[in-house]
Amino acid sequence: MTTAAETLVGASTEFLKRFSPFDQMEPEALGFLSERVLLGFFSKGSTILSAEMGRPRYFYIIQRGKVQANQSGDVALTEYATMTLGPGECFPIGAISAGRPSTNTYMALEDSFCFQLPADDFMELMRISAVFHVFCTQYIASLLSQSRQQLQTTFSQRAAEQQTMTTPLGHLIKREPIFVTPDTATRSALEKMDELRIGCMVVADADKRPVGILTQSDLLSRIVLPAFDLDRPISDVMTPSPQVLPMTATAYDAALEMATHARRHLLVVDNDDKLRGVVSERDLFSLQRIGLRQIRASIEGADDIESLQHASRDIRQLALNLIAQGIGAEQLTRFISALNDALTRRIITLELTRHELFGVQFCWLAFGSEGRHEQTLSTDQDNGIIFQAAEGEHDAVKQRLLAFAKDANEALAACGFPLCKGNIMASNPDLCLTLDEWKRRFGAWIREPDPQALLNASIFFDFRVLYGNEKIGDQLRRWLLQTAKGNSTFLRMMAHNALSVTPPLGRIRDFVLEDDGTIDLKKSGARLFVDVARILALRAGVEASSTVQRLRQSGQRNSVPSEELDAVTDGFHFIQLLRLRSQHLDTEHDAPGDNKIDPDTLNELDRRILKEAFRQARKLQLRLKLDYQL
Amino acid sequence: MSWITRILPGARSTVDLAPEIRATLDAWRALPDMPLDTPHAETRYVVVNTEASGLDLAKDRLLAVAAIAIEGGLINPHHAYYRSLDPDPAAALAGLLEFIGKSPVVVFNAGFNKRILLNAFEERLGVDLELHWLDAYWLMPGLYSERGLGLAKLADWMAALRIETFQRHHALGDAYAIAQLVLAALARARTLGHRHPQALIELEHTRQQLQRSS
Repeated sequence: MTTAAETLVGASTEFLKRFSPFDQMEPEALGFLSERVLLGFFSKGSTILSAEMGRPRYFYIIQRGKVQANQSGDVALTEYATMTLGPGECFPIGAISAGRPSTNTYMALEDSFCFQLPADDFMELMRISAVFHVFCTQYIASLLSQSRQQLQTTFSQRAAEQQTMTTPLGHLIKREPIFVTPDTATRSALEKMDELRIGCMVVADADKRPVGILTQSDLLSRIVLPAFDLDRPISDVMTPSPQVLPMTATAYDAALEMATHARRHLLVVDNDDKLRGVVSERDLFSLQRIGLRQIRASIEGADDIESLQHASRDIRQLALNLIAQGIGAEQLTRFISALNDALTRRIITLELTRHELFGVQFCWLAFGSEGRHEQTLSTDQDNGIIFQAAEGEHDAVKQRLLAFAKDANEALAACGFPLCKGNIMASNPDLCLTLDEWKRRFGAWIREPDPQALLNASIFFDFRVLYGNEKIGDQLRRWLLQTAKGNSTFLRMMAHNALSVTPPLGRIRDFVLEDDGTIDLKKSGARLFVDVARILALRAGVEASSTVQRLRQSGQRNSVPSEELDAVTDGFHFIQLLRLRSQHLDTEHDAPGDNKIDPDTLNELDRRILKEAFRQARKLQLRLKLDYQL
Repeated sequence: MSWITRILPGARSTVDLAPEIRATLDAWRALPDMPLDTPHAETRYVVVNTEASGLDLAKDRLLAVAAIAIEGGLINPHHAYYRSLDPDPAAALAGLLEFIGKSPVVVFNAGFNKRILLNAFEERLGVDLELHWLDAYWLMPGLYSERGLGLAKLADWMAALRIETFQRHHALGDAYAIAQLVLAALARARTLGHRHPQALIELEHTRQQLQRSS
């Protein structure tokens, strides 16, 4: 290098050092950058970079002037349809790291000078500079969070339409009002309440005008304790002059009324004061943001399948609300998972009251996505049992457990967890085993990893204890980690299997599509992360069963920079969020979520991020490939 | 060999040159001429600047030379040249010539820079060089007439285009500023339809004639 070159490179260094992230950059990396940047000029109004120019040849750092980025494509995203960049700012980060045409058009707002780094040198800089790498990854991550915000807006609009508190009560009434006349014997009124499973009985005159009400909560103090004569007419025990509201009153009015007067039911009347229906606290409840705590409480308080079915519907509603409130995929799946766990535990508890299993040591396992805490809303049940039995009692205990499991599986199905088509359920005698039997089974898969064994491993090794004696599950986990760790052939086969599906990234088009023009977000999206995470966890002895935890913990043990881990988990979460979204939209049309997405229906930004997410999957796979020399 | 060159008629140089410098000059002469009608993007321009003991051509001495190439409309820091004339003026100037090649040379204020360079080439290398010269001092007002600067100093153009350099009044420091000025000039020339070096030479010529006739 001549003196002149050194001087000019030094001038670039001095300039770059005034701006982030270059000011934080490692000296060698900054030197590398300064040596390779070329200085160019763009007249006011000229286009610096656009999609038509194909893959960007340079990465630009504005030296002086202003550059405007315009979102191209049909869908303009309000938030940054345009964005102005000034000195020290750079572009295009996503396009150049992905080696694809920029989706933005960059135009010089005024006469501008830009440093230009050739694309190959950009990649090299990413490689040699941790600081620059973080900068670019975070930039991409910020795109992810912006997309999430966008998603939130869409959903809060939908949610707002659906559950506004200004809905007139007339729209909330679901069925013809049930009432008795004042002279009805109290006994027959109560029998009717019991038969119809209603919480209150309205008393109305012959013209259907309400004159009184009797609710469940009145029973104890007015009927049971005073030993009220049930043959007497209901008018002797009812609350007279009940609270009424017109059909045109809003849900909000009703909520206010209930709160003020501590009522659980309100009577809705028409212009002639005739009874038209009853609005319960519950009806309004589903209009409001359904809280996690309330649902939990209602699950734990439920003592029949019917109430649990209600809770199951509430969970779906909550999921929708949570997305509207802007919760991320990670928390969302965890909430869904926590509530589904509570629901499952309650179902098991209820079934246990009907099955004599006292003294039997067992635990109920969840497999697959449920085991990983990654349930979406259309997850089949995948479960099994580990039990302990004294010598000679094995078969008898097993029979009792199977009978119980069969009822539990059916109850779960009734509560919205479809029966598993592959019969991966606790009621399957092959999946209700003792600890030793499970070990033998797992051990056989590890020793002879044929395709079926690998498939099984991918479902069953993600187990966790959902109910019962956790110690038995822990023993199985520890044994599994130890056994798998010591068998490199098995891990290698798992890796081979995990790499058999590649991210649907196209060389020419953005995405490689299935025959029906869609991308399967489960098969060629989420599973790529899940499969690699499982291997990393088995190898690193990570006990966690969730994909994100597995990636994080195994990554930390192998000193993978946390920024890289963030980028990978962000990618995984984004795919999960898209899955949840499509399932939500489907659920509302009462079609099962099928994890398929047509990328053409995504907006520009989501497409970009999806591609980025797939790139993260590819990166993860590449690491595995190198590790196993595959 | 040196005495032969002195007594032989028809010898190109009256200056006693080291063989490697002579070789450099010969190589330079052998270079093909650059066509002047190739578009800016395919033309290599060389911005040249000098540092002298003062601004009086009669008395002052050239102290240092600097050059920065512009290729494809870009400044590459590795394509730059700087050398003080001490201790070997001939080598410094031959090196400059080698760096320039047959590219069009751009200076700011040819009245001084071109003259002092040509004088030095003649004195130190004994050559009278045929180079294509462009003067940003004349070109800039023609290309950025809306700025209303007229024939302005380098500092004024730098302020107008908010150009910075690492060191003013240093051959390379000012060359860097001029080179940035030239980047802007070339971009503007393209939009105004002056597509190649020849067009710029003509533009400069017109400006000078206009000035004289006004």
